[in-house]
Amino acid sequence: MRLDEYMDLAAESERAKRRRLAQEKSYDILDHLAEFQHRFEETVQGDSLFGSVSPSIFVGRSNYPKVSTGILSPVGHEDDAARFETSAGWYDEGVSISDVFRRRTSLLNSNQSTDAVNVHDSWDGFLGVQREVAIADRPVSVEIGLDGRPDVDFDVGRDDVATPTGPRAHARSADLAENPHVPRPVQKTLEDDDWNAQGAMNYLYRRGFDVYDVNTILSAGALGRGENRRLVPTRWSITAVDDTVGQFLRGGIQTNPSIDSVEIHRNEFLGNAFWVILAPGDWEFELVEMKAPGSVWNPDPEAGMWLAADSEGFEGRTGYVDETAGAYHAARLGVLEYLEREGRQAKALVLRHVSEDYWGPAGVWQVRESVRNAFDGERAEAETFAAAVRQVTDYLPVSLSDLRRKSTMASGLQMNLGDFS
Amino acid sequence: MFKAIVSASTLRDALDSVSVLVEECKIRLNEDDLSIRAVDPANVGMVDLTLDAASFESYEADGGVIGVNLSKLEDFVGMANADQLVELELDEETRKLNIRIDGLSSTLALIDPDSIRQEPDIPDLDLPAEIVLEGAQLDRGIKAADMVSDHVRLRVDDAEEAFHIQAQGDTDDVDFQLDAEDLIDLTSGTADSLFSLDYLKDMNKAIPKDAEVTVELGEEFPVKLHYRIAEGQGNVTYMLAPRIQSD
Repeated sequence: MRLDEYMDLAAESERAKRRRLAQEKSYDILDHLAEFQHRFEETVQGDSLFGSVSPSIFVGRSNYPKVSTGILSPVGHEDDAARFETSAGWYDEGVSISDVFRRRTSLLNSNQSTDAVNVHDSWDGFLGVQREVAIADRPVSVEIGLDGRPDVDFDVGRDDVATPTGPRAHARSADLAENPHVPRPVQKTLEDDDWNAQGAMNYLYRRGFDVYDVNTILSAGALGRGENRRLVPTRWSITAVDDTVGQFLRGGIQTNPSIDSVEIHRNEFLGNAFWVILAPGDWEFELVEMKAPGSVWNPDPEAGMWLAADSEGFEGRTGYVDETAGAYHAARLGVLEYLEREGRQAKALVLRHVSEDYWGPAGVWQVRESVRNAFDGERAEAETFAAAVRQVTDYLPVSLSDLRRKSTMASGLQMNLGDFS
Repeated sequence: MFKAIVSASTLRDALDSVSVLVEECKIRLNEDDLSIRAVDPANVGMVDLTLDAASFESYEADGGVIGVNLSKLEDFVGMANADQLVELELDEETRKLNIRIDGLSSTLALIDPDSIRQEPDIPDLDLPAEIVLEGAQLDRGIKAADMVSDHVRLRVDDAEEAFHIQAQGDTDDVDFQLDAEDLIDLTSGTADSLFSLDYLKDMNKAIPKDAEVTVELGEEFPVKLHYRIAEGQGNVTYMLAPRIQSD
């Protein structure tokens, strides 16, 4: 059996044509930053007080606990401010990597440094306004006083968890220009300061808030037991919510019946190809990442394929996710959501091929949405898990033996004692 | 009714062998022995422990079953030096276990045995190869494998009559070969199975380095590891399901 009988794999061959994207990136972004500066000059005239609409916040992680904490506003694009907030909608829109960078560079991060991250009693001033922005379910009108001009530097970094960040300026003050709308369940988690953060995160998720909303709320220190409420760097909050909600979903599917046959799902987005192989049996999960030379973390075109993998058994992991970091929890969430919808459990191997088209880190939302949406498209079936891995390997940049060396699941699936009695 | 006196080291070895797999277990207080059988929540690793009445200084029981939180019980027993005696007595009325160590008395609340996961059936396996080696040798092979991978291959080469503990990592390989003369005993047969090191490392932690360990092995089949404790008056058997490639 050949997989291309079941799936449209033409995209694979087109990839080569798009390599030149990599060369275009820097000019694109630089133009854009100049554009931002221009828009900013128009908006902020005379003094440095300006009014805008803020869809989201950002909490930095360097120097923790003395972090920089900011309110993001799309200066000059107030009318469609919501589009600048990272969400599952970006996938549905089909944004490109350039779009992601363009949107992020349009967001001015008006920030202050804090001495302590403990924000239990911080209702007033800058932190209070920031929290209101985080818990509101739509962009909030704000008035921000800046200390000097924005620094139109652009911070890409190697971090693929948080989306890239744009221009920054030190904020002297921030005030609400309206009474923000806060959904009732969020109000409830905010008011109950005897509710642990995990429980409150899962509650919001069950009430229909996506992980994007939950991590912003967590980040602002608006969840958890009173004395534990603190600012959580955006990057950490994203992974914390994916992990917490994932554990919650995993607990639910562990008693589900297994899927019946081996399924192969595939998706491709922003220069990343994802293969999800599901096999019958008790829950087990692994993410293997193959990063092409020339892609963002493996920039040397002469370097070989960079492989990274992390896995967990039925009961989950005990140690940190070393090699695949936030992508692991984001991919796992997508798989668990599918299994929960189906009322099943399975062994799941996710293979992520990062091609050289992935020239800038778009943020881990890209992994989450790609995996979430992988289950909607065509699927192929295979007789056995090993056969599925063999077939998929034909489309991967590594050999089967290299994959088996790297991947715990490809080298063998965990059986249980019941399989032998 | 249950009342027993046992050396702290014997009790500790016994409890360690179970606590590496589970947090709670049922203890069967049989007339002639004390026994525990438990399986981890994933049903991948199992332990079967028996301590004969003879391994105790004194032992009286009539077939009851108690449920215990192992880490609490181990903490209490940990208050004793290895050569001290631990006195255990079940208070039927309060359903608590009284533990006395040289003037120190403590009371351990028990868990309802019905609330603990059911004891597993032991799969009836006919495994073709049997290797007898020292705990220290097994430990060496597992530590070496752990340097390069998170799973390990246990294999008997029937032709060369040797036992291999092998691991393959991203780039590095490890092969610990034990020939028949390095081993205490070898019943050769075709056997080759892959196991998760997470489990095997935990089991290995509980196996005394000077114990004589019997490894029963098959082709993509569970492995059985057994060894004696309490100067030969007790027995521990582990069973671990393999990782398989299912071609």
